[in-house]
Amino acid sequence: MTDELDYYTILGVPRNATEEDIRRAYRESALRLHPDKNEGPEATELFLQVNRAYELLSDQGQREKYDLELIEHEAKMIAKASFGAKVIQSRAKLLQLDEPQVHYLLVDIEPSQDLPEIRPPINLSIVIDRSTSMRGERLDHLRSATLNIMQGLNDGDSTSIVAFSDRAELIVSPDQAKDMAVARARLSQLQAGGGTEIAQGLRMGLGEIQRNFSREGINHLILLTDGRTYGDEDDCIQMADVSADQGIIIHGVGIGSDWSDRLLDDLASRTGGGVAFLDTPAAIEAVMEDIYEKLGRTAASRMRLEGSVAQQVDLRSAFRLLPEPMPMGDSLPMSLGNLPRDGIVRVLLEMVIHPIGKISELTLAHFTIDGDILGKGDESIPLPLEVRIPVSDEPDTEPPSEEITAALSQISLYRMQEKARHEAELGQSAQAARRLENLATQLLASGERELAKSALNEADRLAHSRRLSSEGEKVLKYGTRALMIPAKTGEGET
Amino acid sequence: MIECPTCKHSEFVGTLHCSECGTQLVHTAPIGPGSDFLDLSEEIDTNEAPVLGPGLATGAIFGLRVMKTGDMVSLVGRENYTLGRATGSQAIVPDVDLDTYGAQDQGISRLHAEIRLDETGIHVVDLDSVNGTLINGKRIEPQEPKEIRNKDIIQLGGMQLQVISRIRG
Repeated sequence: MTDELDYYTILGVPRNATEEDIRRAYRESALRLHPDKNEGPEATELFLQVNRAYELLSDQGQREKYDLELIEHEAKMIAKASFGAKVIQSRAKLLQLDEPQVHYLLVDIEPSQDLPEIRPPINLSIVIDRSTSMRGERLDHLRSATLNIMQGLNDGDSTSIVAFSDRAELIVSPDQAKDMAVARARLSQLQAGGGTEIAQGLRMGLGEIQRNFSREGINHLILLTDGRTYGDEDDCIQMADVSADQGIIIHGVGIGSDWSDRLLDDLASRTGGGVAFLDTPAAIEAVMEDIYEKLGRTAASRMRLEGSVAQQVDLRSAFRLLPEPMPMGDSLPMSLGNLPRDGIVRVLLEMVIHPIGKISELTLAHFTIDGDILGKGDESIPLPLEVRIPVSDEPDTEPPSEEITAALSQISLYRMQEKARHEAELGQSAQAARRLENLATQLLASGERELAKSALNEADRLAHSRRLSSEGEKVLKYGTRALMIPAKTGEGET
Repeated sequence: MIECPTCKHSEFVGTLHCSECGTQLVHTAPIGPGSDFLDLSEEIDTNEAPVLGPGLATGAIFGLRVMKTGDMVSLVGRENYTLGRATGSQAIVPDVDLDTYGAQDQGISRLHAEIRLDETGIHVVDLDSVNGTLINGKRIEPQEPKEIRNKDIIQLGGMQLQVISRIRG
């Protein structure tokens, strides 16, 4: 961060917040951060910042002066920021309406300067489910996948392997990983048995990453599981939130049809990671290698979208399309994960804009794009990003840009699948089946015959058994998500 | 609010895809202020799309689903398609070779039926096949175009195909 502070973000209020909003936000933050309740030094510092923010923003004269300073400061920051951003809006102007309207932003983020030619240090922990169901082929492929990764370690890297069932065990420590013979011997002792308690494995894996935390590199946890965890989901989610704050990414890999995809998605989306679904254990090596290889091509890690949206605006959903498709939460700050050397981070934000009066322009949001460019030595400078749009009483007749419509068509397929699954769970199987048929027609139209077939099969299943198959759920979810990977388009059957 | 032309679901102005059926809503004009955005009836309407031919082909989706295998045969971009089996070295080859979808031993003729798409709708014509063509279990007269709609089942010999037809935005 820089020496200048954005007091609006600290209080979590938009720039056009009223005095009352500021007072309310202050009271909430102050209660939460009060030193009587918090012992950590960070909390105390935040508490002081919140107090300073309130002092300044609650005084009309001081606030006006600060607003000017902030604008000036941001202009300077933009000039030297480490990142550049391009925003495409779904409409060139909003409509003056006394009803809510929807607006989309497509945000492309890239580094703004020359990147050092380095492969960043990788601090990795591979957390493996060793429950009974992993026995045989699954564990065999996993052993060879982890050995492959350890063969490619660089000097500054740190790798550990943790296995868990109902308790966790450090199979290969970062020191042991440096000696292939030792690592191989240790891995051969990895045997299957017991239940699945993800929180156990996660805690130990995160502990290893924290111990070897690398500011100059990537801190990454890969969680592989084929089963469901019961009762410790909240624990896992809490750990994911802490990881997100620390800049550790959690990447999920689910094998077969019986793992809890929602938990893995949740952990990954909170930390800026991704999730892979494997229907066969034979794919483990390739998927792990792909994840590891991408880590080596990272330009910046700990990418974050911070800031706030205007008072009239609600962030309804966010979807990261690149480098890896992933639905994100709907609140700021948002962890976006890694920015690849040869690509961009692309996020689609869906906003609901509440009735806007007779104004000619609306500032939708003040974002800050932050992250750490790796291998630069000095701290990266975040990019302030103000998004504005004219408001008019004439509707915008220009069609939205192709990029935004293409992104939305893909997301819309994904959402239909989500909705059908939700309806099936509520027992509305007829409705869910109709929706899957709709999805199938859309998929068919875009040439995705295999996926269309799966959707129709699940629709049939709903008619007969009133339930979706847990495999079908995952095929549709990760299948529609994979449609967003650019290399994948055009690869479908003709 | 705006209304989805396919399923009539209401969406906020500015929405680009219907949240119910996925239809793209790019050029949909608002239905005027004061509309009932609180009354988002969750009902989905899967009535067949208005039956329209290639004149309106932009965004139209039309295909046949092979009931037995679940395979999809996409029929978009042309005005007519012949269905049959491309066996051996014959001169006439159907546009859609049903052998690819397991038509062997199902009593399907080489040129069994034709699908026609035009302004008046989608029609199926039996081309004097040996074992005949049925729509929803009813045998149709040879050489007489019969209209088909979304979800209808066409039976060629022993093979059943379901019609999937919808119009997008």
